[in-house]
Amino acid sequence: MTVLSPARPTDALPPLARPVVPTDRTQVSVTAPTTKVEIRDVRFYYKKFEALKGISLPLYDRRVTAFIGPSGCGKSTLLRVLNRIYTLYPEQRATGEVVIDGRNILSPDYDVNLLRAKVGMVFQKPTPFPMSIYDNIAFGIRLYEKLAPAELDMRVEEALQRAALWNEVKDKLRQNGLGLSGGQQQRLCIARAIALKPEILLLDEPASALDPISTSKIEELIHELRSDYCITIVTHNMQQAARTADYTAFMYLGELIEYDETAKIFTKPGKKQTEDYVTGRFG
Amino acid sequence: MPMQHTAKSFDEELKRLQSLVARMGGLAEHQLADAIQAVADRDTERATATVRGDQKVDDLEREVDDLVVHIMALRQPVAVDLRTILSALKISADLERIADYAANVAKRAIALNQVAPCRPVHAIPRMGQVVKEMIKDVLDAYVNGDVPKAVRVWNRDEELDEMYSSLFRELLTYMMEDARNITASTHLLFIAKNIERIGDHATNISETIHFLVEGHPLREARPKHDETSFAVIKPANAGGGQ
Amino acid sequence: MTLYQRRQALNRLVLCLALAATATGLFWLGTILWTLLTHGVSALTADLFTKMTPPPGSQGGLLNAIYGSVIMTAIATAVGTPVGILAGTYLAEYSRGSRLAEVIRFVNDILLSAPSIIIGLFVYEVVVLRFGHFSGWAGAAALAIIVIPVVVRTTEDMLRLVPDSLREAAAALGAPKWHSIVQISYRAALQGLLTGVMLAVARISGETAPLLFTALNNQFWSTDLNGPMANLPVVIFQFALSPYVDWQALAWGGALLITAVILTLNIAARVVASWSSVKK
Repeated sequence: MTVLSPARPTDALPPLARPVVPTDRTQVSVTAPTTKVEIRDVRFYYKKFEALKGISLPLYDRRVTAFIGPSGCGKSTLLRVLNRIYTLYPEQRATGEVVIDGRNILSPDYDVNLLRAKVGMVFQKPTPFPMSIYDNIAFGIRLYEKLAPAELDMRVEEALQRAALWNEVKDKLRQNGLGLSGGQQQRLCIARAIALKPEILLLDEPASALDPISTSKIEELIHELRSDYCITIVTHNMQQAARTADYTAFMYLGELIEYDETAKIFTKPGKKQTEDYVTGRFG
Repeated sequence: MPMQHTAKSFDEELKRLQSLVARMGGLAEHQLADAIQAVADRDTERATATVRGDQKVDDLEREVDDLVVHIMALRQPVAVDLRTILSALKISADLERIADYAANVAKRAIALNQVAPCRPVHAIPRMGQVVKEMIKDVLDAYVNGDVPKAVRVWNRDEELDEMYSSLFRELLTYMMEDARNITASTHLLFIAKNIERIGDHATNISETIHFLVEGHPLREARPKHDETSFAVIKPANAGGGQ
Repeated sequence: MTLYQRRQALNRLVLCLALAATATGLFWLGTILWTLLTHGVSALTADLFTKMTPPPGSQGGLLNAIYGSVIMTAIATAVGTPVGILAGTYLAEYSRGSRLAEVIRFVNDILLSAPSIIIGLFVYEVVVLRFGHFSGWAGAAALAIIVIPVVVRTTEDMLRLVPDSLREAAAALGAPKWHSIVQISYRAALQGLLTGVMLAVARISGETAPLLFTALNNQFWSTDLNGPMANLPVVIFQFALSPYVDWQALAWGGALLITAVILTLNIAARVVASWSSVKK
């Protein structure tokens, strides 16, 4: 089993029910975190190939959890299980349970569109829709709510403010979203996701296509959003995980190798494999 | 390190760091041995050479500092690599102080040789032997990552402290016997104090080794048996004294 | 000769051959356009657009033929476009990689290159013989059958160009599939879809063979689609082969007209397509 309770390695069951009280004094809030998402023995198959081999771990509310690992280890795959986006492709399937607020979201009778209102996702490549900036944000809102124009305006502004984009676009809301720079487009996608007021945010390498300054802005944004969402970020850049995440999970070849507070992973990881990876000794 | 970094140049930098610290360690050991020898043999030439030799250790410490800053800025080391270079930084500082104290002992030896030899001086080679063994052991422990050995050194400081306390009392008594002994005794006092400080720095190195290997500091408070801070010896003839 | 010199020489030779081939193609195109212009421009009078096809010897125009062509093309487009777009959407969005989709695509490609006379014959058998008379409806039907494969092909190709990341982004917001297709995929591929439709219209504007069997022709003004309908291609066919000079002149005028329309549509399609690339 690859379950690792972050505080103590072997303990009586259930290991997942033990939240870790952070001892790191630099943390913003010192209250014990609550589990928002429980991943239980999730396996994933691309046709016959087993990409995830029984992953179990908790994701905490109002915290940032980062997934690191070499290419092909399954971190993006795991992320895509959390909002069932893999169901767009018939040859992909997942088994196991993912429990959010007491309900297993992988079960067929959990409505997938309602799930996606609860769990927002931002992709690696910025994907603004071919419409105006205003409509980009309003698109998602219109799917679920019928709002008066004034209310809709407010919601759009709110989302753009939260994504630190409002000041840059407030005069050109009717312009096409494709005219923005890469960093702005990615913030637009983040605004689009948070306009739906989700509870969980999934970020799949959100800054890997951006220049360093835009990357910093996105990381700063993640830091601000932390207080309201359960954020999960997949990243190739270990320093980014070190900078932004409270908890870090190291995956390799579809298995969860280690899951602990970020500070521990980067100062004294428990597993040699983890240490070899973070120090750059990986073959 | 069993596994190489993907960036081989990083491994080379770490090796260079280790060799710098090893050289410093060797030099410090040598300085200490020479200084103790100079006291025991009343050898002024050896003492002078020792004082001059301190410069080399200082230069090495500066090199270690520069290399550590370079690695931190350019490699952003984490986990064991981070602990490795932080340890190298701390240990080189301790070794530099040890070499300084050894040079101080040598300076005092030159002064001592200008007065008549005094009886308590025989304690110095004994203390010197203990501290030499401590230094040798702790440097071995660093090279081999041997935490139990480092902890033994850490505990041995107790012995050194006790030797220093008893020598302190002996010297106080010696000074009270005859005022002409005061010069020699004072110098001896300082020599003993320097040796005791060298022992303390050796325990610092032990603590750093523990942090390097285990990832967390040696938690217990070091047992301090240096009672000289409150040692009072009343003269044999009673009389108002402070 | 060194290797490098030989390569240079070969390069120059091939360049000359390519230019010669281009020149040949352009020459014939130019000749055709020039011939059309010189012969047909004399017929380009207001009469062409206001009078009916005349009996030989009298003045006239092509009004009924123009009307017939326009009506049948419009109906064919109106019927063929939705069918084609929906089928193309099915192929691109709903049935990735399935066997059924492969079969449909294969059949579509065959239809795309089917000789139009076969299509005309088919509609003749199914519609004309059944109802017992030629009709504008039959003509429109034949043209629609030509429009559909073209639109299916272009729709599928254009929709496939829309990156999957856009679809995933819409799905991640919880958009149902059809909503995502209409709001995202169609909008993203809009220019391409329009281009496809325009090309289909350009194609059917000039089709003669199917209309021969289905709409036939009508000398008089008729807006009744249930009967034979005048149309430009058949009129040109008829008038050009005739021995009458004024009929021949009208035929050239009609040919010039059709060519102008097709050229305009093709150029417009390219302009519209270039808008979308400028926007990106």
